[in-house]
Amino acid sequence: MTLLVLGYGNLDRQDDGVAWHVLSQLMQVYGLPEPTSIDVDEYFKEKDIHFLFQLQLLPELAYDLDRYDYAVLIDAHTGAIANEVNVENVIPDFQSSPLTHHLTANSLLAISQQIHQKYPQAILVSIRGYYFTFTQQLSPQTAELVSIAVAKIEDWMNNQKIA
Amino acid sequence: MVAQKITIEPVTRIEGHAKVTIRMNEAGKVDHAYLHVNEFRGFEKFCEGRMVFEMPLITPRICGICPVSHHLASAKAGDDILGAPPPRPASLLRELMHMGQVVQSHGMHFFELAGPDLILGFDADPAIRNVVGLLAADPGLTVRAVNLRKWGQEIIRILGGRRIHPNFAIPGGVNKALTKEERAIILAGYDESIETIKIGIKIMYGWAEKNAEDINKFAVLKSGYMGLVNEDDALELYDGKLRLIDSTGMQLEKFDPRNYLDYISEHVENWSYLKFPYYKKMGFPQGVYRVGPLGRLNNSKSITTPLANEELKRFKAINDGKPVENTLHYHTARLVETLYAAEHVKDLLDDADILSKDILNTCHNPKPSGVGVIEAPRGTLIHHYWMTENQQLTKVNLIVSTGHNNWAMSEAVDSVAKTYITGPDVPEGILNRVEAAIRAHDPCLSCSTHAVGQMPIILEVKDSSDKLVKTITRN
Repeated sequence: MTLLVLGYGNLDRQDDGVAWHVLSQLMQVYGLPEPTSIDVDEYFKEKDIHFLFQLQLLPELAYDLDRYDYAVLIDAHTGAIANEVNVENVIPDFQSSPLTHHLTANSLLAISQQIHQKYPQAILVSIRGYYFTFTQQLSPQTAELVSIAVAKIEDWMNNQKIA
Repeated sequence: MVAQKITIEPVTRIEGHAKVTIRMNEAGKVDHAYLHVNEFRGFEKFCEGRMVFEMPLITPRICGICPVSHHLASAKAGDDILGAPPPRPASLLRELMHMGQVVQSHGMHFFELAGPDLILGFDADPAIRNVVGLLAADPGLTVRAVNLRKWGQEIIRILGGRRIHPNFAIPGGVNKALTKEERAIILAGYDESIETIKIGIKIMYGWAEKNAEDINKFAVLKSGYMGLVNEDDALELYDGKLRLIDSTGMQLEKFDPRNYLDYISEHVENWSYLKFPYYKKMGFPQGVYRVGPLGRLNNSKSITTPLANEELKRFKAINDGKPVENTLHYHTARLVETLYAAEHVKDLLDDADILSKDILNTCHNPKPSGVGVIEAPRGTLIHHYWMTENQQLTKVNLIVSTGHNNWAMSEAVDSVAKTYITGPDVPEGILNRVEAAIRAHDPCLSCSTHAVGQMPIILEVKDSSDKLVKTITRN
């Protein structure tokens, strides 16, 4: 059972980088050291878990998705989703980006499905961000949500018998 | 008839997005179309107070798509402000990394972003007119495209230790030499990459032949053009002089990029957060210019690599040697540049200095300000820093490629709207065309934040009393 835990966002844009904080806390649950930089690319061999952080989703991430049975994608949201910490299953569904370099979790899985004829069973954990100024310090409201998100991910992993 | 306003807005929820408003007049014709850009400028403020040597690691975080461009422009600004020109081997290695960036970025744009428009057709169902549809239509081509991008990224990874945020260039040089083994790994991907790019060029010209009517009425704009060139006015992407030509191809200026403020000024419109750079002596809008692949090829008299130089001749023939004005030929120019970048990788790897360990100049002669300019895949990227005696930054000015092309993107949208909206009934397909007009420039509008969610495109038709008449949406 291989698992990818992929957080993404801009760590320098306050709550947009909340995924990095979730990833960091989750890594420490497994005894891994707290990351010291934005670049997280760590394996927890005992459980076959790959922790990765990216500024944004990119198409090439799909090229390697066939290596994983499961994936947890972590991102910020800005309130369009009702739950402060929302967990949803991700299905392959390509969504065109009209103007910019923007890729969604669903699109990523769609590319994987097309390339590999397979994709990992995935969830998207999105955490409410409140402020997006130029700082790495989370807002108090979003900071409170980090441990909740970690707990929800652990629950999901337990249910999948990954943890 | 009541005047209408149409708004096309990708719904991002934080800054760094754009929307298009098309104002209809009372006769039901397009009066004017506007591209409103909420480009972030806050990153400059964020950098104030940081040490100059930190900047090559901080500024790549501006963008997940072209971090290498910011990394290298920042290091070049560091060279300049610290008075530490890199040894030749270090410049070669930086240039090698830059070529990797151009190959992977241009490759992704053509095959994964714009390619579906061209290969599957503008009017194909958006549900399949994307990279997934392309994968289904031509799996072999897609594998080649994937390998091309991987090759570019592998060059970046080998030099910078990572594919995304490299730690390589530092003021005065680079922190890692290239080994023979690494050189061999890069060379191994050369032949396939060249072949893939040739296929892309063939696709582009085939498409252009079949769609000549579209190309010739789709955002054909008169403007100036700007880009780096060498002393012979040949294409340069890493270093050189900035050359500015007018719409007829006549040279207006050729200047040291450090002096950009003497030549470029920025115009402000009340409907966009992004400024409009222009050539100072001509004023706005007469002095507007385009950058990026189209701007660079129009500016270049030749290319220093043989295959790309032959393609440049074919490109120049499109408009009988005069600047190519068709926005859709940005794609053609992009592929020619990709070919140049791939060929240049081999040139660099064949250079006797490429394996040298003389990669860092530690002698500094600091000055109060410094400029670093590079041709990022999307166009001219300028980093300008001011610092205190203890090398702490007091001011940062970044002019990003998308900024230079602000006028062109806006004009392209206006032109497309006027061409394809001929009456009060706005066709659903206008979304495709507007997207394509902007996408041709490969803009980077949302490179600061990417919170979760879709980016649907919404087109709203409003009458003069702001009442919603019609909505066209695509998720």
